[in-house]
Amino acid sequence: MHLADVWMVFVFLAFTMYIVLDGWDLGIGVFTLFDRDAGRRRRMHALVSWLWDGNESWLVLVALTLWAGMPLVTGVALPALYIPLILMLFSLIARGVAIDLIDRHDGWHPVWGRLFGIGSLVAGFCQGVAFGGLVAGFTVDGDAFAGGPFAFLHHGYAVLTGLTAVALYLVAGCAYVYLKTDGETQERAARTGRVAVVALAAGTIASWLLASSAGPLTLHPGATARLPIWIIGAVLLAAGLAFAFGSFRRDPDDGRSDRTPWIATLAVYSGGLLVAGGLLYPTLVPPGVTVHEAASPHTTLLFITIAMAVFTPLILTYQSYGYWVFRGKVDAPNEGVA
Amino acid sequence: MTQDTLLDLSRWQWALTAAFHITFPAVTVGTSAFMVVCYAMYMRSDDEVWLRMFRFWRKIFAVGFALGVVSGIVLTFEFGLNWGPFAHDVGPIVGMAILMEVIMAFFLEAGFLGLLIYGEGRIGRRMMMFATCMVTLGTTLSVTWILVANSWMQTPAGYKVVNGQFQPTDWLHVIFNPSFGIRFIHMLVGVLLTAAWFIAGISAWYFTKRRHLPVARRGLSVALGVLAVAVPLQMFLGDTAASSYVAKYKFPELLAMEGHWNSNSNGENIIIVPKPSEERNLWQVTIPWLGSAIAKDWSGKTAVPGLKTVPKAQRPAVLPVFYGFHAMWIPTLLMMWAVVASIALRLRGRLFSARWFHKLLVCMTPIGLLGIWGGWVTAEAGRQPWIVYGKLLTAQAVSPLKPVPVLVSLILFIAIYMTLFAVFARYVVRAVREGPGDGPLAEPAPPTLQPQPQPGLSPAT
Repeated sequence: MHLADVWMVFVFLAFTMYIVLDGWDLGIGVFTLFDRDAGRRRRMHALVSWLWDGNESWLVLVALTLWAGMPLVTGVALPALYIPLILMLFSLIARGVAIDLIDRHDGWHPVWGRLFGIGSLVAGFCQGVAFGGLVAGFTVDGDAFAGGPFAFLHHGYAVLTGLTAVALYLVAGCAYVYLKTDGETQERAARTGRVAVVALAAGTIASWLLASSAGPLTLHPGATARLPIWIIGAVLLAAGLAFAFGSFRRDPDDGRSDRTPWIATLAVYSGGLLVAGGLLYPTLVPPGVTVHEAASPHTTLLFITIAMAVFTPLILTYQSYGYWVFRGKVDAPNEGVA
Repeated sequence: MTQDTLLDLSRWQWALTAAFHITFPAVTVGTSAFMVVCYAMYMRSDDEVWLRMFRFWRKIFAVGFALGVVSGIVLTFEFGLNWGPFAHDVGPIVGMAILMEVIMAFFLEAGFLGLLIYGEGRIGRRMMMFATCMVTLGTTLSVTWILVANSWMQTPAGYKVVNGQFQPTDWLHVIFNPSFGIRFIHMLVGVLLTAAWFIAGISAWYFTKRRHLPVARRGLSVALGVLAVAVPLQMFLGDTAASSYVAKYKFPELLAMEGHWNSNSNGENIIIVPKPSEERNLWQVTIPWLGSAIAKDWSGKTAVPGLKTVPKAQRPAVLPVFYGFHAMWIPTLLMMWAVVASIALRLRGRLFSARWFHKLLVCMTPIGLLGIWGGWVTAEAGRQPWIVYGKLLTAQAVSPLKPVPVLVSLILFIAIYMTLFAVFARYVVRAVREGPGDGPLAEPAPPTLQPQPQPGLSPAT
């Protein structure tokens, strides 16, 4: 096994952590757009304000694990995804600043709240667009991207994956709200969550069926050997969706655990990641750029692998501590805001 | 033509987004250190004034820090978005340094920031102290690794080039490259004194308004005490950086900083209107003798070398380098004078009553930022036309994009960042007007690590 494959574990970890953790807070942003009640929105804003910064850090880590470990991917894919990624950055700026100012700026609460919701929606959409654009492939000339500014759209396919990503994040957001609140907020999360699960299922199936129309989706020879992995992934994904739909109950006070939608959401994530990873690995930028071609030299990989092995457990420890401090249900807008 | 347009647009976008970003760390790194002092003093003495100060500065820190985070994320993506070939060529080295920044610093700050800002009442005093220290440690480590990355681009070392890619051969030489040590300390002292002027200015404003005097007195005293050490130290470090690194490794930049064309003047230029195509200044204001004195020849016989001593292709643009440098060192002279005045006032016991001095400090609130911006403009413009000095041309490192998307994103960045800056300025002004409060404080945090039942929390399910 090559050191580059070991490094891909960290890339995959960062990607997974990002879409799971920032997934719920982006999803809450989308969810707040459907809620007219200021009190309920404030409750959800409080949930996000405590932890979004740590969640979003994983996005930076995704970018950096690729840049330091797979510089060719950064050099090719980022210019190719210029438009969706710049839009994502604008949206992340807007929502990050909005969530921070939301309780500090009297009278502007509705403005920042709306900006937070729209920023979350557009950021999630752009991430899905970028993902769809990437997996459908790019024209590469030497070490550089050689396509036009809208090549990432792939005749509209990327829009479909963008919408699917929004549905995924909305499911995660609703599941998290369901876990962390009670009463009417929780009931609303259950209702919206069910709709989002249906949308996600439809989006996933459509993305799957239309993938071949998007671009030269040539599978790496290794991919067929991993048939069991992606079949397990597909089963897990389908089961997770069904489980999520069932666990967003209309009557949350029936004595059963409020954790089930969140667990179901994790199953959806795991299944989706297994399918995507099983199909694409070791290709990083289809059709041609693979892990081994894109990897940094051995000296760099060794240095950063050791560094990540040391720091990842630390990061996970203090981030878990943060979640532990803010555990339990949230009742009211931020207390103790200085 | 479009290639030049694309390069210019990409450089402007980088310059503006980086300048916007650095504004916030320049203030928050030092502010977080000040918060450590406040909270430590509060824990030692149980004196509520220190807690009041901690909470007040935390309010400004929180929003400044959030803006620093979101604008920093933009930069990490721009490395690849606008400078794709650069990302590929230096990923094994510069990518490594920024990765280290993320895993050692960025996560640390983010992990403890929530506790620092929203944790009171949920965590104990010792944990709050710990969280504050961790955020400060994170900001300092962040400065460290960013300076590793940028210094390597100024003075590359410890690498070999394989198929156009810079690959590390010796990590110690990569990290401790020739300019890293001096530039790191220079920057660290720079951000500390930027925050100190900020704190001194706001504290002085309360003196002019006769409000919140206990908080203002301590803020002023600590900030001016730090400045009394930091400003002279910074003058020494700046001079050392110029002589031990710029003169040695980037000589053409030093020439542009001085703004002479011919090597026949012993004067120091203060204002120039250069015309590079004719290799002369159309107009200039020069202080005779001073240039020689700065070169440590007090007789005035040493001439300052001119730009004509190096070939045209090696010369950076004179205008940004000259004025970037002067935006750094002319304010430093004013800072030095103010620091001397503060020491004299303190010795005569008049530091808290000299109103003219308080008014001066209010005017000097953002003065450190001038130095930070100026210094970075000098370093980055002075590195041109190279992106990795002497090894990789900036023109070869730009992403092969169409100019229109870059133009649109640049315009949007300008619009968004101007709005954000206005919002931030307004927020700071409002927070300062509201002040740290004079009434009784809310209960300090419970002294245990276990979270107490709080209005915001009901038991977990």
